[in-house]
Amino acid sequence: MARLDPTMPGLHLAPDHVFVRVQRVAGAVGAGAILLCVAGALLNPAAFFRAYLVAYLFWFGIALGSLAILMVQYVTGGAWGAVVRRVLESGTRTLPLMAVLFVPLAFGLPYLYVWARPEVVAHDALLQHQRIYLNVPFFLVRAAFYFAVWITVTHFLNRWSLAQDSRPEPRLERRLEMLSRAGLMLYGLTETFAAIDWAMSLDPHWASTIYGILLMGGQGLAAFAFVIPVAAILARRPPLSRIITPDQFHDLGKLMLAFVMLWAYFSFSQFLIIWSGNLPEEIPWYLRRIQGGWLWVGILLALAHFMLPFVVLLSRDVKRRPRVLALVAGMLIVARFVDIFWLVRPTQGSAGLELHWLDFVTPFAIGGLWLWVFVWQLGTRPLVPVNDPCLPVMEAA
Amino acid sequence: MSTPVLEARRDSRPPVIAPGHTFETVTDRISRVVLRRGTPRGWIVGFALSFCLMMVLFYSVAALLFRGIGIWGINQPVEWGFDIVNFVWWIGIGHAGTLISAILLLLKQEWRTSINRFAEAMTLFAVACAGLYPVLHLGRPWLAYWLFPYPNTMGMWPQFRSPLIWDVFAVSTYLTVSLMFWFVGLIPDLATLRDRSPSRIGRGVYGILAMGWRGSAKHWHRYETAYLLLAGLSTPLVVSVHTIVSFDFAVSVVPGWHATIFPPYFVAGAIYSGFAMVMTLAIPIRKFYNLEDFLTMRHLDNMARVMLATGLIVAYGYMMETFMAWYGGNPYESFMILNRFGGPYAPQYWLLITCNVVIPQVLWFRRVRASIPALFVVSLIVNLGMWLERYIIIVVSLHRDFLPSSWGMYSGSIYDWSMFVGSIGLFLSLLFLFIRYLPMISIFEMRTLVPGAEVKEETP
Repeated sequence: MARLDPTMPGLHLAPDHVFVRVQRVAGAVGAGAILLCVAGALLNPAAFFRAYLVAYLFWFGIALGSLAILMVQYVTGGAWGAVVRRVLESGTRTLPLMAVLFVPLAFGLPYLYVWARPEVVAHDALLQHQRIYLNVPFFLVRAAFYFAVWITVTHFLNRWSLAQDSRPEPRLERRLEMLSRAGLMLYGLTETFAAIDWAMSLDPHWASTIYGILLMGGQGLAAFAFVIPVAAILARRPPLSRIITPDQFHDLGKLMLAFVMLWAYFSFSQFLIIWSGNLPEEIPWYLRRIQGGWLWVGILLALAHFMLPFVVLLSRDVKRRPRVLALVAGMLIVARFVDIFWLVRPTQGSAGLELHWLDFVTPFAIGGLWLWVFVWQLGTRPLVPVNDPCLPVMEAA
Repeated sequence: MSTPVLEARRDSRPPVIAPGHTFETVTDRISRVVLRRGTPRGWIVGFALSFCLMMVLFYSVAALLFRGIGIWGINQPVEWGFDIVNFVWWIGIGHAGTLISAILLLLKQEWRTSINRFAEAMTLFAVACAGLYPVLHLGRPWLAYWLFPYPNTMGMWPQFRSPLIWDVFAVSTYLTVSLMFWFVGLIPDLATLRDRSPSRIGRGVYGILAMGWRGSAKHWHRYETAYLLLAGLSTPLVVSVHTIVSFDFAVSVVPGWHATIFPPYFVAGAIYSGFAMVMTLAIPIRKFYNLEDFLTMRHLDNMARVMLATGLIVAYGYMMETFMAWYGGNPYESFMILNRFGGPYAPQYWLLITCNVVIPQVLWFRRVRASIPALFVVSLIVNLGMWLERYIIIVVSLHRDFLPSSWGMYSGSIYDWSMFVGSIGLFLSLLFLFIRYLPMISIFEMRTLVPGAEVKEETP
């Protein structure tokens, strides 16, 4: 019943670990997809930016969701978070990459957002009203501010957590908790306005007060859906195999189920209220999302993002079996992508569901790069935060 | 056993049960409140005062039935007033009980044990108070059964698209499940009272209520299963009831009501006010009955944290409403917000912001969370703030109709106030009776917190 010594070997990702192979494949696929994206961007910039925004928001959701869940765990405690702490932390350390990947968007604003086109703004009273908020310089300043906040919080959370590995200090624990409390408040505010800026303002005539919360729920779910398969794979080998028990997967599964329900609750509330009000400035947002093929995307979402995972995750056995749970999580990751696609894509351009080949390439371009950085970051630190007070007591080697 | 999802991290914090207690002292200390001979004078005075207030309620209801709802301050355009404000306020207060008993149980939060019983009782009494208002608002409350969809000779059905009919189902389900949950949780303790009661009547009444509980392993096994199932059933109710209450407003197109954030923001507000009420009640009770060993500073600290967190969600709701009223560019929405800020009800609005957003920020400080008088004052302020929130939502949105020719002002009449104060009397009277005749803290669950209660599995 001994705690692990941080200096002992075997706490890091083994060089022959399956993740190292994943990293290599992700890098290669990502590089290929990026080349295709560059070609696509030159051929059809409008289609590229639409596809890029969807892919960007999807991967960004996992990164920022990891930060939020990490902070929630510091505030509330629980062994489930200690065993996946290093996975969550690696997820947060991809945020600088997401900041860099935001730069291409800055060059495509007029392709994406009507408020960035002066000729449209000139003939639209509402856009003129919104101009003090929705204008290109302020948009970029806000984005820089959001990233500054997230990266600063990430930096200190990671630094103190690493410092804790070498010396267990209650002072560090306390600091991590305090920063997480403040960080969660900052997250709530920055994430809300980022959601409004990047996604909701695609249709500036439509406003929904729940939008920020809806995306927060999605990000939390994305983080769990990503962390669970990673943890399931890591749990097959030491050091995680010695500390993760079915209990932790059970807890992670419960929390993922909670987020599935939260997402459904927020989405359905928004839908019911707007459907019932049936106001001309609100209902077109949903009308656009039932036109053409979009209705089927919506039905798919209701099934794959809520009904199926909800029913499956009710089972205790499913939650306690890492393989099965990881499978459900994998489906939810795909559902997250479909959800972002459904939220972001229909606002632009045509009436029906029209797919472009870039829609399939951009997620791999960003995702390949993202996964490469994720595994790289995962390898830089011991996989177990050995001095974490929430860590379950583990068996000696 | 799996590890707690949200287990307490800091062992340095005060314990959930004071040291030095054994099974015997726990049972004794809690059951003594009920089984002692003679009634304490404080209880008699408190109950008498509450009873007088309750009589004020009965008088007001009688006057209402006799003269009609014209005695209230409501009229066009403000046709919802104190009745709905008080309904939402009371229903919201009930939520803490369900959250504590169901969700915190499922999350294995041990500290809930000493507050769950009376928080659940509080839920029941609050729902009873809440239920009065819509029924009385019907005008002819003796026809309240028309709310239920039953085949009738009039060929009349409720409007199923109206959230008001969803409310009927939501609130009645809430009351039923809460009552079941509370009663099932009481059974082992009722058996304890049966076994310890010195009087024949006590043994008889508690014996009937205990439904033949013998405490056998089989009883306990079934009991645990039933209790967990009921907890699972109650969990969605924490969210669903206030969500539907929020739909009462949000599915309309009234500015200030039609907001997509209403469901989560109402649920957070309900939990906020509920915890404030638990604290308002717990602080005097623990003092008066010397229950500081069971309702420790740890409980008060945790409740203050929950209040702080839910209060911030409520503040987020206010912020989003204001931002979107500007951003959306709808002239009615922005007028409504400006009217809240500077209209005729602006003093109430700013008082609400002070009570719900500004003052509770003192809970960030550990010293405030450790001070009982400070916590008591903050909890009262939050109770007031949450009442004002509903008042502002309802009255400000209605008193300026879309057409200026339909504008009007609203204020509660003397009967509005007497019914409100009277419902507090009803609530407190029920609470006093509960404290006197039932164990207000779960005896058997507290026994499991005594050190050494848990049998550890020996590893070979």
